[in-house]
Amino acid sequence: MSSYLAGRSDPEVDVAEERATEAEPPPAQRPAKARRPVSRRVEPFTVVSYVGVSFFALLCLIPFWMIIIGSFTAESKLALSGYSFWPSPFSLQAYQLLFTGTALLDGYIATLFITIVGTALSLTTTAALSWVIARRMPGISRPLTVFAYLPMLFTGGLVPLYLLITEVLHLENSWFAVILPNMMAPFLVFVAVTFFRQLPGEILESARLDGAGEARIFFRIVLPLSKPILAVLALFYAVTYWNEWFTALLFLSNPTKFPLQLILQNLIANVMNAAQIPSSAAQAAAPVYQLRLAMTVVTIAPILLAYPFAQRFFVKGLTLGATKG
Amino acid sequence: MQPVGRFGERVRGGTAPASATGSARKAERLRRRARRRAARRGSWVLLLLAAPGVIWFAVFCYLPLVGLVVAFKNFNVSQGIFGSQWDGLQNFQYFLASGDAFTIIRNTLFLNALFLSGSLLTGLVLALMLNEVRLTLFKRAAQSIVFFPYFISPIVISIILQVLLAGVNGQGGAVNDLFGVFDLPQVSWYTTPGPWPWILTIVKMWQLGGYTSVIFLAAITSIPEEMYEAGAIDGASRFRLARSITTPLLGPTLGILVVLGVGRIFFGDFATIYAIVGDNGILFPTTDVIDTYVFRSLLTLGDFGVTAAIGLFQSVVGFVFVTAAVLVQRRLNKESSIL
Repeated sequence: MSSYLAGRSDPEVDVAEERATEAEPPPAQRPAKARRPVSRRVEPFTVVSYVGVSFFALLCLIPFWMIIIGSFTAESKLALSGYSFWPSPFSLQAYQLLFTGTALLDGYIATLFITIVGTALSLTTTAALSWVIARRMPGISRPLTVFAYLPMLFTGGLVPLYLLITEVLHLENSWFAVILPNMMAPFLVFVAVTFFRQLPGEILESARLDGAGEARIFFRIVLPLSKPILAVLALFYAVTYWNEWFTALLFLSNPTKFPLQLILQNLIANVMNAAQIPSSAAQAAAPVYQLRLAMTVVTIAPILLAYPFAQRFFVKGLTLGATKG
Repeated sequence: MQPVGRFGERVRGGTAPASATGSARKAERLRRRARRRAARRGSWVLLLLAAPGVIWFAVFCYLPLVGLVVAFKNFNVSQGIFGSQWDGLQNFQYFLASGDAFTIIRNTLFLNALFLSGSLLTGLVLALMLNEVRLTLFKRAAQSIVFFPYFISPIVISIILQVLLAGVNGQGGAVNDLFGVFDLPQVSWYTTPGPWPWILTIVKMWQLGGYTSVIFLAAITSIPEEMYEAGAIDGASRFRLARSITTPLLGPTLGILVVLGVGRIFFGDFATIYAIVGDNGILFPTTDVIDTYVFRSLLTLGDFGVTAAIGLFQSVVGFVFVTAAVLVQRRLNKESSIL
């Protein structure tokens, strides 16, 4: 916590974010005893709250549990008695099929390319543009603000975008057709602007007096001080790219270029597509439902695994954004 | 020639505008140019930094607006965007005259209203409850877990829903299994359009409840502790504190979220709905929204003119809503507005 907030100087903001992230007030400000009911008896509302929160948390976990379990359950059992909470009979057939074909590898390559290249592009352009807006340059920053804000109010819709990608840029069947339309989120631009404006002005001023140019100030001072917000932006963009399937559905027609989400979407649209995932030799009795669940597991696995470590950044970004519309 | 540039500041004080001769005016001009150049020397770096973002906005947000002329044309790919015949308002008439217009506009408004109230209510209740939880570890874990569905792609949500509602071979599903335990009749969900607005609302509550609660919790932390102390001294129970202190003080936050949500009310949640419903025509009467309709007409009909007309109609009406919402929001909370 303290390590990634080290660059911040505004105590107000730090406290607010720390509270939101840790969800526990600093002890100096709010003695733990004052918060407790005066009488020591257990209040009904507190009990209800624990039960309610646990219930909702369970609702959030159970579907994933069922999918993971289902992916390890033999297809015959799935067909006979439906989904269950424990895999019996245990079966790895779906995963064996998944890992023998090349479709999964292709899907991972596509998704990783879109996510990594996309996030890198998004991060650099967003950070650079946001800094120029945040600099309050006369005659530059304000027009740029309006320029980046108007698309939040009015968009051309689907058809012009489709024509732009296919008729003007000719990006069909390119992963950039998935990356470029999602490259900048105006909302995140303004989250970054809010953060940049809270950077301590004295540091920038002293750098300027020492003769640092705009480029040096941005790369050597602003960016290192902004690691927390860069992490927030990177994570939000990365999740967006990882989950993106709609532009892929529109612009990609070559199955070897499909990202994971689109492969999964094809499995929903037509369960028989599942039979095409494994290599042709194993096609005979493909366990389509089990395969679909296994495919879901491998698609969300990276998010599931990274989430516990990344989660605090999301909360942080959200509270930053929430305070500035 | 008068000294400019470095000494510009000092010289300017000496020239009185009343006695401005030709040479003085020229000097003034040179001075101004020098100052501008000095400002520009630092700012070309900034312009360079902003350039990729500006180009992106120009190409992907502003250039497509030109493409909207297609809405007024009888578009033909071979003739191109500008070569196609003008069509007047025929595309709009075609859309409004078709029976679909009323259905999808009604669905869009109704579903969005349900989604908004459902997710806000869930978030509010969840935040109030999370605020009662004192065990730090439990609270942190619970908060992480309830926030998680927000990061799940619509496709995966659709798979989850099929596990719950359809089961294998379109039979059963977890919910029907549960119904069986209580001797309730089995429902073939994917062929029954009636309950779908509520099913989608539950999905939205599940997906956004934790996300919204984080926003509310952030607002709760800014409520001064003294209020709770005063309440506790007066003998209020924890529930009373939550109801009579926390909830009213969350009003402004709730107001802003409602206003922003109402501003987006004309834009359907395309990804989630299309991922779940797809091309299942049986469910269209209750689930088809403008965005899914536009998408389907583009892919299946291939009629760019009509599709663009629907999109433009949506953008214009949506713009009115969003702008009104932004104006209201700025009045509600001057400090939180962007511009």
